[in-house]
Amino acid sequence: MICYNCGYELSEKNFCTACGADVGLYKRIMYISNRCYNDGLEKANVRDLSGAITSLRQCLKFNKNHVEARNLLGLVYFEMGEVVAALSEWVISKNLRPEKNIADDYINMIQANAGRLDSINQTIKKYNQALVYCRQDSKDLAVIQLKKVLSLNPKFVRAHQLLALLYINTEEWEKAKRELEKCRVIDRNNTTTLRYLKEVEIMLTPDDGVRTKKKKSTSKNAVEYRHDNETIIQPIGIKEQKSSSAMLNLLVGLAIGVAVACFLILPARIQAAKTAVNEQLKLVGEQSDAKTATINELESRINSLQAERDSLGEELQAYLGDDGSLEAMDELLLACESYLKGVGEEDETQFMERIATHLDNVAAQTELSQTSAAFQSVYQFIRDEVNPKLAGVYYTEGYDAYRNGQYETAIEKLSGAYNYAPDNVDALFYLAGACRKSGNVDQAKELYSQLVELFPDSDKVNKANQALEELDS
Amino acid sequence: MIDFEEELKKFHPSLEVEDAEEAIYNQDLTDVTDLFVNMVKEVTVGEE
Repeated sequence: MICYNCGYELSEKNFCTACGADVGLYKRIMYISNRCYNDGLEKANVRDLSGAITSLRQCLKFNKNHVEARNLLGLVYFEMGEVVAALSEWVISKNLRPEKNIADDYINMIQANAGRLDSINQTIKKYNQALVYCRQDSKDLAVIQLKKVLSLNPKFVRAHQLLALLYINTEEWEKAKRELEKCRVIDRNNTTTLRYLKEVEIMLTPDDGVRTKKKKSTSKNAVEYRHDNETIIQPIGIKEQKSSSAMLNLLVGLAIGVAVACFLILPARIQAAKTAVNEQLKLVGEQSDAKTATINELESRINSLQAERDSLGEELQAYLGDDGSLEAMDELLLACESYLKGVGEEDETQFMERIATHLDNVAAQTELSQTSAAFQSVYQFIRDEVNPKLAGVYYTEGYDAYRNGQYETAIEKLSGAYNYAPDNVDALFYLAGACRKSGNVDQAKELYSQLVELFPDSDKVNKANQALEELDS
Repeated sequence: MIDFEEELKKFHPSLEVEDAEEAIYNQDLTDVTDLFVNMVKEVTVGEE
């Protein structure tokens, strides 16, 4: 014990040995406080929680700094389901003695488990709601709410008491008694509990006035027994009617049942079945439409693929010869072979013509720009070798024929000369002249025009223009 | 005979967890020791 004035440790004297303050009365207050604490502890040990609360509160009225009393008070509150009150006491205790205080453990125990704290809060809210229901005369709802509260917090004494009060109000004495017994297990000497219990026991006593009569009248006419939590009253002495009308009633009931089935149940079932079938048909129809669309799409694709295949087949056939090899390649190889073998015994003109014919076939049978570089190179090489020579031969023969008046031959040869040497303006000039002389005026005019257009710097231009004027006149 | 309405008045709403802080602050912690110390101080001041 320390001095209230200077905080020095007090001795057995009635004054402080440090500051001289009179501490006699102060010591007596402390003794009373401790006595109350001891009293509260004893009561708590025998589960007289209400008594313990009273003693501990008295203790704290004398000495608010009595940490043990405050911790014990919190513990008692907690045992009675008053969690917030318990927390309040422990928090104050913790503030009074921050170190080595068991209240710290209690607070941590509750706060460490957030779910438990939430559950406690829900319990309190439901209890308060139940109280509101009671005041609004919604007693059934209050009972339901209190049952929920007690399922979450079975030690909540006030909730048990309120539920018991509601049962008392509805004269459900047995239920009220059960709740009050639960209260008494938690808190033995709670005045409210004992008062309610006394009332309930009076009402349950068989010798009681009004209720006895009621019970007696009940017992005459009925057998009462309990099944689980329910009291069942079964009437006795009531004989069941036994008559032949029972069979008739059964038949009538059967007939009504059949009629209901026919007129009410069956149409509904049939309608439901029809609806289901229609739904199935609709589904099948949709699936059929989808498949038809897919088939049409596939057919059109087949047609396009067939057309493409035919086109490619024709194209391939154009490349292939009768024996299946590429004709253009064969022609080029023949031209090469002829060129490599040389003139031999035949005429040089015929030799050149044969090679030129092969090359012409190559050009006719394939698109040279789409062939390989090697193919084009070989083709062009032979062409460059053959064309000038052949053009020269054709020009000589054509010019001779022109001079000799053999215009048809001249046209043929000069056409070849011009064909194999497109820069030979003389060949073109004499070809036009042969056409003119042979009476093919249109062809002649076209060839003269071509000469004027293609070779404007040539010395044949003036003659070509003159010929054109003459032909036009 | 227990009067339900009268008994119901004795039941008060329980403090919710959110209200605990306010309840702690508002708690009157004056004890007999405080009264005694105040009285002693008043007496001492009066004598002086």
